[in-house]
Amino acid sequence: MTWHVTEEDLRAYARGELTAPLLWSADTHLMTCADCREALTRTSDPQTLDAGWERLDAELDAPRPALFERLLLRLGVADHTARLLTATPVLRRSWVSSVALLLMMTVVMVRTADSPVLFLGLAPLMPLAGVALSYGPVLDPTYEMTVVAPLAGFRLLMIRTVAVLTAGLALNGLATLALPGYGLLALAWLLPALALTAVGLALAARLGPLAGPLLVGGAWIGTLLVAQARESGTLAPFTPAGQSAAAAVTVLAAFLLYRARDRFDARPAGGLANGPGR
Amino acid sequence: MTTTVSATGLTLRYGGTRALDDVSLQLTRGVTGLLGPNGAGKTTLLRVLATVLPPDRGEFTVLGHDPGTAGGRRSARRTIGYLPQSPGFHPDFTAFEFVDYVAILKELTDRGARHREVRRVLEEVGLGEVRGRRMKRLSGGMRQRVALAAALAGDPGFLVLDEPTVGLDPEQRMRFRELVARRGEGRTVLLSTHQTEDVAMLCHRVVVLAEGRVRFEGTPAELTARAAGRVWRSTERDPGARAGWRTGTGDFRNVGHPPEGADLLEPTLEDGYLLVLDASRAEVTAP
Repeated sequence: MTWHVTEEDLRAYARGELTAPLLWSADTHLMTCADCREALTRTSDPQTLDAGWERLDAELDAPRPALFERLLLRLGVADHTARLLTATPVLRRSWVSSVALLLMMTVVMVRTADSPVLFLGLAPLMPLAGVALSYGPVLDPTYEMTVVAPLAGFRLLMIRTVAVLTAGLALNGLATLALPGYGLLALAWLLPALALTAVGLALAARLGPLAGPLLVGGAWIGTLLVAQARESGTLAPFTPAGQSAAAAVTVLAAFLLYRARDRFDARPAGGLANGPGR
Repeated sequence: MTTTVSATGLTLRYGGTRALDDVSLQLTRGVTGLLGPNGAGKTTLLRVLATVLPPDRGEFTVLGHDPGTAGGRRSARRTIGYLPQSPGFHPDFTAFEFVDYVAILKELTDRGARHREVRRVLEEVGLGEVRGRRMKRLSGGMRQRVALAAALAGDPGFLVLDEPTVGLDPEQRMRFRELVARRGEGRTVLLSTHQTEDVAMLCHRVVVLAEGRVRFEGTPAELTARAAGRVWRSTERDPGARAGWRTGTGDFRNVGHPPEGADLLEPTLEDGYLLVLDASRAEVTAP
């Protein structure tokens, strides 16, 4: 063992003031290092020591945070939020699908490098798909068990939406770097992406977690096709006027979503697996 | 006894039929059993009272909170522990992780306190030893108990359990009864079951639901008393009996309207339950 817990950290540990992830390193180390355990005994009074042992005992069962969760913690995300974001397979799957979509798009983009239209058209759909896949009874087996928990419903949806949007927008942003030739036009997906996500969620409050986003996705593709049939230059949604419209739609949809927030809590989104009841 | 959960006129339509039809009931502290045949509306009633589904009509309060309003619903949910009929799991979660996940959603955000609570409830359902095992490696009965532990996390004042004894063997069922009886002290527990035995051994009150309506509400002794003078012994199956079967002694045990001078037997809660259902069926088919 080359590394030991410093005396200062041991004192903080005994007082219960050591924070994660340093706390976990100390916990793990103390389990195996007799020297540090002895040092801990010397630095602390019996009462705080008992509390420390109890915490260590509980720590033995605690879920080991995986790489991504540790990253979130380092970024300052609260421990329970990080757990909610990374523990749910549904959410991981939505990210995996986002990444897969991104890769697919990049390939398509490279092959049709003379025009960013396909990328600009597909990129806004990615955050929408990610959000749609991140919640709802269809994809979450524990849905009925957790739906009545106070943090479930709208609050959980917002936590996940922010996470999926952040990841989705970051990935999209990276892909945009691959289009340096188009300048600001290459960022024209951003506002439509926010608008589609906001409208998709606002509609999901009324139509359910799949129908809402599907409708919005379909409408977006329809808009693009119409725009393409009419013009030969920059498509309408990516012109300054189109971007302003997207910004306005985002604000309006966000407002409507906030107004409809209680719907996410009041009734299971899209019904329960075996009907409302038997 | 003070009322803790009170419902009036709960009605919920589903697929053209009334899953709940003007249901009113009062719950007090202790364990109340909900009995009824398949399709009676038990699960729907539990879902409504657990605030999973809003009723089409009617209102109810849970420990003083009105789930009909957004604020009241959130306050009510802070007091509710809910075990659905078929709780789903993430197969790769350990038992500890699963309960921990549910506990976070129940707003137990302090890491240390939450982990202590998770250990406590897993110990309480007798799964302290296997808390590190993945859900997919646990037996059906164990998973049911993990879900129960998740429902117990945060010490809810109103516990709603939908057929919690399904899939448990007799010994597990006995342990489960011990646990629920302990929980029932000072808290309100509502559990649905097919087992009249659960009700007889565990519940201080019983509600019988059929065709979405409350057919009986009272104590188990009162339900049993419905069959007083209606159970008799005979050497042949009595054609006038609603139900009759040959018992281990070779005699027939009949439930229904006994003939004059019949050899009456001590009724059980199940006899009372059968007769209540029988009466409700007669009411439905009457012109």
